[in-house]
Amino acid sequence: MVDIISESKGKDGRKIVLVSVENLIPFMKEMRTNGFDHLSLVTAVDKKDSIDVVYHLHSMERNEYVVVKVNTKNSVVPSVTGIWPSANWDEREQYDLVGVKFEGHPNLKRIFLPESWVGHPLRKDYDLSKVQYINMDEDGEDYVTFDAGDGW
Amino acid sequence: MNDQWIELNIGPQHPSMHGVLRLKAKLDGEIIRELEPVIGYLHRNAEKLCEMGFYCDNLVYFDRMDYVGAMNMEVGYLEAAEKILNVPPPDRAKWIRVIIAELSRIAAHLVWAGAYGLDLGMLTPFFYCFAEREKILTIFTEACGSRQETNYMSIGGVYQDFNDKIIQEIKDFLETFPKRLEEIYNLYVKNDVFLSRTKGIGILSKEVAISYGVTGPMLRASGVEYDIRRAEPYLFYDKVNFEIPISHKGDNLARFLVRFEEMRQSLRIIKQGLEKLPEGPYFNPKAKKSMMIRLRGDGEYYARTESSKGEFGVYIVADGGVKPYRVRVRSPTFKNLSILPVLSKDVMLADMIAISGSIDLVFGEIDR
Repeated sequence: MVDIISESKGKDGRKIVLVSVENLIPFMKEMRTNGFDHLSLVTAVDKKDSIDVVYHLHSMERNEYVVVKVNTKNSVVPSVTGIWPSANWDEREQYDLVGVKFEGHPNLKRIFLPESWVGHPLRKDYDLSKVQYINMDEDGEDYVTFDAGDGW
Repeated sequence: MNDQWIELNIGPQHPSMHGVLRLKAKLDGEIIRELEPVIGYLHRNAEKLCEMGFYCDNLVYFDRMDYVGAMNMEVGYLEAAEKILNVPPPDRAKWIRVIIAELSRIAAHLVWAGAYGLDLGMLTPFFYCFAEREKILTIFTEACGSRQETNYMSIGGVYQDFNDKIIQEIKDFLETFPKRLEEIYNLYVKNDVFLSRTKGIGILSKEVAISYGVTGPMLRASGVEYDIRRAEPYLFYDKVNFEIPISHKGDNLARFLVRFEEMRQSLRIIKQGLEKLPEGPYFNPKAKKSMMIRLRGDGEYYARTESSKGEFGVYIVADGGVKPYRVRVRSPTFKNLSILPVLSKDVMLADMIAISGSIDLVFGEIDR
């Protein structure tokens, strides 16, 4: 058994398990062998001074649901892509929009926004007044500028 | 990478791409060796927009996610938001939602069927499908004044009650549609070209599907009997009889057959819904219009609903204010699309088009 920090029940009646960042991978491997074969969702929530990463795990056979949470101060969390391939795109999305770095991810690139975008929009301190323009370079790839180019 | 391979860019604008999907393919002759989807062309960050609006305002962003079956998106958001705000809808509103959501599911599947025909070079079924879909959209217009981005439901109920005319229109639809559905069905399954391009192509195994988070008709076509309407019933889905169609083949044709059978089951649900529709209020007085923006939510809730594409989840984190703190959307097609590089490895380019069509891609929902 891997150590957990606390266990509680959410408003939706699902068990919420809080684990530390170091114990995340052993804990998730244990959950996978316990039959939680479907990783439904990976969410990162910006709590201003730290970031919560929430995993919604589901077992197809027993139709059971568990929510696993980790709290990180420096926004670095190990990737669970090796355990569930479905985490691949979810983690890329959370890296893109919230800015959590998933260590050990095979292809940690932005998924929606262009690679040179400045900032992570779902952070609470993201500056919405700064307009960023996307243009296309000669190779057909996107790049970002702060002043409107010819295309705009 | 092999020297013989050539790189091919498909999209973002392409007639068979159902929206703005761009694919970077590495081809060995006509066979795809590697495929990388590039998405985000329709991204407007609905999750951030939701943090800026009141709970009742945010419904409009959900309409624009899966815009071909918008009612299912509204059900998904309200399942979470109403629990956060503690304003349960009355029974009549719940039954109205069941009926409308199933109509919307049929409408979404008809768009898919028509467009899938187009992908495989059949023009005729497209018109048949859209003619039938138009009848459903007429019912929606009667109910709320809008065809596609309906904004029909609201927190604590629905915007407007069903009147006799709508109920009559739905009954007429239930009478005429089954026959038309069989006609459309026969247009596909009696066509040799269609069969040869779908049978045995794009086979997805059960284990791979689950590990990639694939849900909905795609998962059921791979032999997993998993439908959230049955596994974790919401609204009144535990009070209606319907079957979950599954297939063990896992190919394009299986996905097609599962979706058509789902439409027939939806008709059954609508029929039972009309019989059971009770009299009474259609919205919760706690959420009347002047009160709506003052509702405060707390806690966190993850609601799962079965949209026409799969498991549509909405995760809301509230901090006691009048606006949500964080909204996260699990869009089914986002996960279903992530299987495309696996399915189209070492297949012909033309088959890849047939496979990507069978996933049922809607980019409003993938890019959010």
